[in-house]
Amino acid sequence: MKQIIHILKFKLISYIRLESQFTFGYFVKNIGSGLIYFAFAVGAFFFSQNLIRFLLVDINIGLFLLHEFISMIFFIFFMSVNLGNIIVSYSTLYKSDEVNFLLTKPISPSKIFFLKFLDNYFYSSSTMVMVLLSMLAGYIFYFKINVIGFLLLLLNFFPFMFSAGSLGVIILLIIIRFANRFGMRKVFATLGVSYFLIILLFFEINSPLSLVNSILKQFPYYDRNTYLGEFLPPIVKWLPNNWLSQSAYRIVKNDISGLIGFTYMQIALSILLFSIALYFGHKWYFKTWLLNSKITSDQNANRKKTKPFFSFEKVSILKSQTEAVIKRDLLLFLRESSQVIHSLVLLFLIVIFVLSVSGMKFVGFGNFYLQTIIYLSVFLFNLFFISTLSLRFIFPLISLEGLAFWKLKSAPVKVNSFIKHKLIVISSIILIISVGLSFFSNYKFGFLLTIFSLTVTLFAAAAIISINFGMGGIFSNYKEKNAIRLSSSQGATLSFLSNIVYMLFLIVMLFKPVSELFLSIMIKKYFDLTVFLQALIPIIIISTIIIYTYLKIAYRSLQQDF
Amino acid sequence: MLELKNLEKKFGNFVAVNKINLKINKSELFGFLGPNGAGKTTTIKMIVGLLSPTSGKIFLDNIDVWQKPLETKMKIGYIPDQPFVYDKLTGREYLYFSGGLYNIAKDILKIKIDEQIESLKIGSWIDKRTEEYSQGMRQRIVIASAFLHDPDFIIVDEPMIGLDPQSAFLVKRLFEDKSRNGITIFMSTHSLNVVEEICTNVSIINKGNIIFIDTIDKLHDLKKEKKNNLEELFIQLTNEE
Repeated sequence: MKQIIHILKFKLISYIRLESQFTFGYFVKNIGSGLIYFAFAVGAFFFSQNLIRFLLVDINIGLFLLHEFISMIFFIFFMSVNLGNIIVSYSTLYKSDEVNFLLTKPISPSKIFFLKFLDNYFYSSSTMVMVLLSMLAGYIFYFKINVIGFLLLLLNFFPFMFSAGSLGVIILLIIIRFANRFGMRKVFATLGVSYFLIILLFFEINSPLSLVNSILKQFPYYDRNTYLGEFLPPIVKWLPNNWLSQSAYRIVKNDISGLIGFTYMQIALSILLFSIALYFGHKWYFKTWLLNSKITSDQNANRKKTKPFFSFEKVSILKSQTEAVIKRDLLLFLRESSQVIHSLVLLFLIVIFVLSVSGMKFVGFGNFYLQTIIYLSVFLFNLFFISTLSLRFIFPLISLEGLAFWKLKSAPVKVNSFIKHKLIVISSIILIISVGLSFFSNYKFGFLLTIFSLTVTLFAAAAIISINFGMGGIFSNYKEKNAIRLSSSQGATLSFLSNIVYMLFLIVMLFKPVSELFLSIMIKKYFDLTVFLQALIPIIIISTIIIYTYLKIAYRSLQQDF
Repeated sequence: MLELKNLEKKFGNFVAVNKINLKINKSELFGFLGPNGAGKTTTIKMIVGLLSPTSGKIFLDNIDVWQKPLETKMKIGYIPDQPFVYDKLTGREYLYFSGGLYNIAKDILKIKIDEQIESLKIGSWIDKRTEEYSQGMRQRIVIASAFLHDPDFIIVDEPMIGLDPQSAFLVKRLFEDKSRNGITIFMSTHSLNVVEEICTNVSIINKGNIIFIDTIDKLHDLKKEKKNNLEELFIQLTNEE
């Protein structure tokens, strides 16, 4: 234990001393970060309050359905933390220089495992925790829950998160053992498919639509605010996300005796999973570390020397510098399995999303306000997709130049050309996806709204790409090779929050024209096109300013000392 | 000719390079000596465009390096002390990538790469990914990449780190050969033997200041005068400051 505290102490010291010199730029950067965090926390707080009010007062879904929806959100959250922890743990437990260093010292691998476990847990989940805590604060204020209720909620929330993280590490240790027998690719592919099937199965068993229909059928024989557990599939009641939402429900209802059982189960599960993780870590960590080294060296030895179709040796129509940078980026991307796997997962989600929204047309028809809310929610979801893609693939672009960046910096390459070469491929893909998403979620609403939405989306995507590229420049970390760690760093969180601020601006700007359009359709009145223009012009101006500013920021950061 | 005029670099209040002046003529094999933290790498990084000078100028054939960076970078081949390369690229891919940055036509680049593979004896592992390379192998790939565009100047920082005796011998002969053929080589090093063996001119930097600059023969004269070997003389000079 003494050794662990000793290491933690020095890790803490090195974390605090991120910047050796206190400069004005450092001060501004941190004040800016603090302000964005604060603004976002306040935004999430009011958003969740208003959303709950909308669901409970405007739509009147009742307390039970509200908490079942919250349970579904917790399920997604659990899976995200769990999967995120597997991916991040792989790089920190098996690929980190710190582990290589510690293993040469007289420290037991179990202790190293424990230290890295804590590292991963806080590293991979901090952003999501912040998002959820801000929303929980909104929830607490809406229901006027007192301090004790708030503490009880946290007492349920943190073990829930800890379970997700512990389970992730347990799964990782198991898959490394299997990877030795079946190969890394097969095991990771199976894992990906399994997660996807689990999510599908969850929503198949616990379909929100069926639940809403079955509850509404019983109305007015049931009180929507009472707990209607008989409508839930039995298996759902055994999931920790359901325990957490039920705990929240009991706190709102001031039912402390009902709460105790769920709190007890939540804490017991987290202790159990954490103990299993520590036990497996103690038994297997060093063995799996050696196994992973063996698997990696076997892969290197057995690699086929085939040349890709965009091999450097082939003649290209591109200019030499363009070809050099683009082909290098493509090769590095395709040879990094985490990049490929993440791209495929996101592509898959996009296809699912497109299939889901392309059938939407007159949801909420008859109530133009509700239709506007639904339309803007889908629009916001599109923007979140663009933001996620940009955060994952654009934000790390500059940092991924890595320590080998000296070659480009000392070569006769213009910074502007470099930016163009870096952005051209991935930005084009994101722009095409954005336009596709926008088209499929709009084309059934008519030509006018489709064109308007496509224009807004195009500018929005370009602005979001620029924000992430610029922020990636400000927070460049050439020592970090892992794109996933880069896109979950503090800088990435701030970039994401900046995206959200911009997205909120868009939603505010779109509300009036979209609601007026739906109203005019409903009452069959002429729609004045200038309403669209009044929204479009400021959106174009602000987006262009954002694009210019953030590209300039990236330009400046690329000119800094290396 | 490479000329540094009142070149200064400060990191906060710390002066890493203190208004130094140097002139390196064509075909010189210039040894830039100094203890750890003397300012050697900082000076080199300013020449190749990785660090901006706080004040002063750097001229390459009378062109200001920081006024016309693209033009001057075309003339320089840079070999850093830490040979960081892209792990997932093979040595050959890395050389194609490097050549592409200097706008070398594909057919010429292929010939140049083959020449470098031959001269640096890297043929047996050129098609393996660089993540499998030892530091010495990486260093050789980086050296090969620096010569692809036929630079007039080679700026090299600690070239012998990580090289085995065969590789070190190979690199020394390569530098001598290139220098004889008109290329100017500016080489920072700790290795006094290397300086004695191949350099034509020498400068010693300590705590950011140039404390000695002359030909290697003059350094030998000083050594005899003080009845020291080069190592003792170096320690004496750098301690006096």
